[in-house]
Amino acid sequence: MSNEPLIKLEKIFKTYQLGKTDIAVLKGLDLNIREGSFAVILGPSGSGKSTLLNIVGLLDTPDAGKVFFKGRDTSHLSGDDLAEIRGGSIGFVFQQFNLLSNLTALENVMIPMLFQDIEEKKRVARAENLLSSMGLAERLDHRPSEMSGGEQQRVAIARSLANQPDVIVADEPTGNLDSTTGKIIMEILIDLHKKEKKTIIVVTHDPTIADYGEETIRIKDGMLLKDHKHEEEVVWEEKK
Amino acid sequence: MSLKEYFKIAIKNLMTRPLRSWLTILGIVIGVFLITSLLSISEGLQNTIMKELKMIGKDIVIIVPGEATNFVTAFLGHLKLSDEDLKAIRKTEGVEAVVPVIDKTEIVRYRGESKPILISGSDWRNSLEIYQTDMGLSLKEGRWPVAGKKEVVVGSLIPEEIFKDLIINTYLSIQGRNYEIVGILNSMGSKMDDSLVHLDADIFKEITGERKGANQALAKIKSGYSPETVAENIKENLKEVQKRRQGQDEIPFSVLTSEKVGGIVSNVTGVIQLAVFSFASIAIAVGGIGIMNTMYTSVHERTREIGILKAVGAKSSVITFLFLVESGIIGVVGGLGGLLPGLALAKLIESVAQVHPVFYIEASFSPFILFFGVSFSFFVGCLSGFLPARRAASLKPVDALRSYE
Repeated sequence: MSNEPLIKLEKIFKTYQLGKTDIAVLKGLDLNIREGSFAVILGPSGSGKSTLLNIVGLLDTPDAGKVFFKGRDTSHLSGDDLAEIRGGSIGFVFQQFNLLSNLTALENVMIPMLFQDIEEKKRVARAENLLSSMGLAERLDHRPSEMSGGEQQRVAIARSLANQPDVIVADEPTGNLDSTTGKIIMEILIDLHKKEKKTIIVVTHDPTIADYGEETIRIKDGMLLKDHKHEEEVVWEEKK
Repeated sequence: MSLKEYFKIAIKNLMTRPLRSWLTILGIVIGVFLITSLLSISEGLQNTIMKELKMIGKDIVIIVPGEATNFVTAFLGHLKLSDEDLKAIRKTEGVEAVVPVIDKTEIVRYRGESKPILISGSDWRNSLEIYQTDMGLSLKEGRWPVAGKKEVVVGSLIPEEIFKDLIINTYLSIQGRNYEIVGILNSMGSKMDDSLVHLDADIFKEITGERKGANQALAKIKSGYSPETVAENIKENLKEVQKRRQGQDEIPFSVLTSEKVGGIVSNVTGVIQLAVFSFASIAIAVGGIGIMNTMYTSVHERTREIGILKAVGAKSSVITFLFLVESGIIGVVGGLGGLLPGLALAKLIESVAQVHPVFYIEASFSPFILFFGVSFSFFVGCLSGFLPARRAASLKPVDALRSYE
């Protein structure tokens, strides 16, 4: 494991326009994510945590500042170059699961491998293995609408692992699940971190989720508050 | 990602919204249906006329009433060449012989069956050689009729398709009079010619009551004369007759060499085909707009899906191609769907036109039309899908994923 962070953000600015008003979401933020770490980005609604995650996951680009992925400056990369990095090195787990509704669980897991030109036999075998490891061996041919939220999220985790990524980025992965199912999902992520040494980044507004991580990154009003877990308790005013 | 994978995904997507997909395909089906049926009819028309012309030798000048470019007057034969006109043609320098073309549809009866058939009056006495050498008539079986006798020869299609049990040395009846079938002709390559009943010109005039003139005339050129020069001479002579008769300088006839007729036919059918193509293209373009509408709606509805695909590594080119394959499939399926009914309509028009022997139309099913119908619809499909596909590809993954949030 090198000393260089897996993901490094330098002075990141991001502003959105709401009508004629500019809303600064990220205000010169710096962040390092070490390889093999389990980081939880914790913040209230509107704090900019999802925007931060999108930039970390190379789904979005900052207005100013630099994003380094495995030491490579991604600032000037094209959309296709970013897609290539995402496809090969980053796995995504979303709050809304974001599975393709017209595809089965197996096909959903196979999709990222399709863009990496992995041959069909290997795609099928790997997708079956991943779904089996998620306890979904019996649900391979089910469409998302035929599965529970927890099952869908497990399919999404299997999909995120399809191309054996360096990092899994999860945006409120338990946000649409009941507490028991949410706990199962978090345990799967912990398992992946511990057994497979995956770097995991989870964004949440729920302080209890922060307990699962090795480090908590607190964000408020587009700025990071602390970079270490349990050093300071912050009470968030949540709008639920 | 292989082409097969693109097809699998595209078909899956199209089948997710089957009604919309089929309705969009229907738009293309209608366009291709029109283009195929009309093009095969117009091409068939050209082929039929060209075949007819090929039967006529190069040392023949054709005298047709009316403007040569006006096929309706030429074919319907409302205008006629008078006996005086025919005489003037016969007297023209360089003309060896004149064959008046006289024909009329009559009800012909054979062994209890009656059918409308085009009968042709033939001058066996003076023109048999011209019929054989310049117009391609030859006997398959039997003999040539004797001039002045109630004998006929029939085209090859009469025993093959019209009166299926017809044999020589039997009798057919026209207007209650019996005529002996003494010969059956070899095929001349044109259905219209092969469906004729030829009988002596004098008897023809007797039974049709058309005693004077002819619908058209063919003038055989003497060797050593150029058809163009003789055509000009004939024109001059006809002008003189016209001047004497009506005091006019203009003649209501076209005097054409077979080469010139070929050119005119090509031009006219070319214009017809262009017009057909233009109208049918409009229909396909409307279908194309339908595809564009469907694809834009699809891009809008599938924004999140596009975001997901991009998030998991799909490049812009993959998204573009995926949508292009979908619109291309719509185009090709529409093309194939329009092809069959289009050809069926052409065949139907052909069989309806067969009832009127003068307007015999043979539908042409050339590989070009089939290829054109499908490839044009595929092209329109891809073209219509291009802008929506570009729009889908240009979406930023984060914006696409945020849709409907």
